[in-house]
Amino acid sequence: MFEYAVNMNKNAVNEKKISRREFLGITKAAAISGIIAAGIAGGAAGYLARVPEEVEVTRTVTYTLPVKELKPIKVGYVYVGPVGDYGWSYGHDRGRRWADERFKNVESYYIESVPEPEVTPAIENLVAKGCELIITTSFGFMDATADAAKKYSDRYFVHISGYRSGAAGNAPQNMSAAFAEFYQLYYLCGLAAGAITQTGVIGYVAAYPIPEVVRHINAYVLGAQYTYKKRTGKDVKAHVTWIFNWVAPEQARLAASALIDDKNCDVVNYTEDTPAVLMVAEDYQKKGKKVWSFSHYSDMREYGPTAHLTGPVANWGPIYLDFYKMVATKTWQSVDIWARVGDYIPWRWRRPVEKSTVGKEEGTVYLLPMNPVIPDEYVSLIKQRYEEMKELLFEPFSVEGHDPDGKRPIRDQDGDVKIGFGERADRNMLWSMDWLVEYVEEPLPK
Amino acid sequence: MFKLERRMHISRKVSSIIVFLSFLLAFFVTGVLFYFLGVNVIQFYSVICSVFITPNLLIQAVFRSIPIILASLGLVVAFRMGFWNIGAEGQMYLGMVAATGIVILHVFYEAIPVSLMLAVMSAASFLAGGAWCLIPASLKAKLGVNEILTTLMLNYIAMLFVDYLVYGPWRDPEGWGFALSVPFPDYATLTLGGHPSIAGIIISVAVATLVYILFKYTKFGFVLNVLGKSSEVAKYAGMSVGRATLLGSLISGGIAGLGGFYVVSGMIGRLRPRASPGYGYTAIIVTMLAQLNPWLILPAGIFFGGLLTAGDALQSLLRLPSSAITVFQSVIFLCIVLAEFLRRYRIVLKRWKQ
Repeated sequence: MFEYAVNMNKNAVNEKKISRREFLGITKAAAISGIIAAGIAGGAAGYLARVPEEVEVTRTVTYTLPVKELKPIKVGYVYVGPVGDYGWSYGHDRGRRWADERFKNVESYYIESVPEPEVTPAIENLVAKGCELIITTSFGFMDATADAAKKYSDRYFVHISGYRSGAAGNAPQNMSAAFAEFYQLYYLCGLAAGAITQTGVIGYVAAYPIPEVVRHINAYVLGAQYTYKKRTGKDVKAHVTWIFNWVAPEQARLAASALIDDKNCDVVNYTEDTPAVLMVAEDYQKKGKKVWSFSHYSDMREYGPTAHLTGPVANWGPIYLDFYKMVATKTWQSVDIWARVGDYIPWRWRRPVEKSTVGKEEGTVYLLPMNPVIPDEYVSLIKQRYEEMKELLFEPFSVEGHDPDGKRPIRDQDGDVKIGFGERADRNMLWSMDWLVEYVEEPLPK
Repeated sequence: MFKLERRMHISRKVSSIIVFLSFLLAFFVTGVLFYFLGVNVIQFYSVICSVFITPNLLIQAVFRSIPIILASLGLVVAFRMGFWNIGAEGQMYLGMVAATGIVILHVFYEAIPVSLMLAVMSAASFLAGGAWCLIPASLKAKLGVNEILTTLMLNYIAMLFVDYLVYGPWRDPEGWGFALSVPFPDYATLTLGGHPSIAGIIISVAVATLVYILFKYTKFGFVLNVLGKSSEVAKYAGMSVGRATLLGSLISGGIAGLGGFYVVSGMIGRLRPRASPGYGYTAIIVTMLAQLNPWLILPAGIFFGGLLTAGDALQSLLRLPSSAITVFQSVIFLCIVLAEFLRRYRIVLKRWKQ
């Protein structure tokens, strides 16, 4: 932590050796402290040498000066958890460092572990500190961020994972909304799951019944159905356990074990901010039972080298960097960003399967390298879909994404058709998804 | 050779000197700790002090301290009558639920006139918080169940109850399915002069005055005091112990419920899961620090609100982790416990007898 703080300071400062001319311009204080330091060093040296007569002290002085030409922009982040949590706030802090490293002329600050009712004081603090751009990274900070944007019309605000922004028309123009969306990647995880499951039963350990989590579950199950049906001609079965928590490794572990032992699941995905579920799968692998899982939010391969199939990863850095640029060049425009596969990458067109970049770090959301146990046929399918999604040519929530024969519409648990032929899920459907696909056994808690 | 002797009586002067010294000790211990972690201690303390002399930061400190203060004032009532209420957190949640319930009643059914909204909301919060506290109180009065366990466990029930409501029936129909209630309309938002703190501080002072009057001038307050000293004596004197326990805990939980009202109506403007980050627990430290004195709760609460604010400033100015201020708070708490011990026992120096 403390070491890190020191590194941060260096970021804002360009190190350079100074020339002789500049040396003359060094401030009085520096000169005086140099003299004092020299005096002390000299005194100490003299004392040690015990030669009272003549002492020669030679000192080389190197100074670091801040870049004067361009004033660095000041950016403040408000995190809901501690940066060391390995999940959400850690991911945002990684994004902050990524953006800082590239933009260079920036001083960024963060306040971590901010409880929801107290976000206003935290924002005020960053405003008082002179931050021009303030980024709040928890859904619960949304209203307070909008209020602050109204109050400080000369500052810029970005709220992560909400729906209020100037662009959407429900917040002031100096507020933007942004999110890195995973449902396409969950679909790809599902393709991998369906390609490898032996029991035909897949599991999901879910955090809260909100649309974001619901569409991730649905996308995952649809993907699995697609490949499982293609492989065996049978329908996949899915079990979901709700743990009502974002960070609860122990509950996640129990839920995953129960899904594997009691429900016969052999591929388990999850929305929980620790590698707990992956570690459970790895334990079963060690005991000789083939159980598979994924990473979530960051690369967790080290926690389950055998059991790890692939996994969705988010890099918030490119989004932040974009906002830095807007603020520094005074070209702000309120935006509502929903970054998906293909966003924030230099070449956002699809590549042929053999040249696919799947498994490489690119853009804001990407897939980790795939486990070689996934059959080649399905690896190419995953690559193909990933590449197609860069151009939004393929949408998981469509008949094409659901049924290999292209014959079956997407139905919910009551059997009602939700997405028919020729239809694709749009923003409103994705954003307010409150139904589970027919293959899920458990009802959605309401 | 040291020997501990129980104090039969302690003067207010000695007592306050002990508390003051233990406070200084907390500053010293934290300073030494951070010095060895390589933190500039002078800067550390100047940031903390700046919170209390900069008007802008002081307002923030007050803003955060009001729910702590209200919960503490409730705890004063409970602790004075010997009812160890650890459940202020849960009672606050029930207060939030009641206040939000009234807002929802109004938004969807227009059941209450706009001008009475805040009054009805606060009354409902008081009753809901009080009722939540009545559960452990009646278990104690009728069955002798230890209230420390029941009040603590009811916190989790209250928290999950809020979860149930915002993920279920009270979910905002226009909130894109996120877990939140409808936003509170302006007339249900607690603010005075554009800031909730001023209204909050007025409520706090009023409640502190009422608690003071209760214990100083009323017969019921006297009963509670006797009950706190010894329930056997109270019984022997013919006081109805059961009734006093119930009524006292109703007041205690009710005041905490008011704190919950402030959180949803003044701070967040909606009901959300985990809306209180442990105000009810911090209130326990504040109550101990204030020696169960309702007037001292105000400065003690603002001090802790200030520490939270200083925590933010320390992160942005000195780039310390958020746990730095938690360490400081914990050291203060340990020193208060030490002071409590020294108030009860005196250390006597004795020479070896030959």
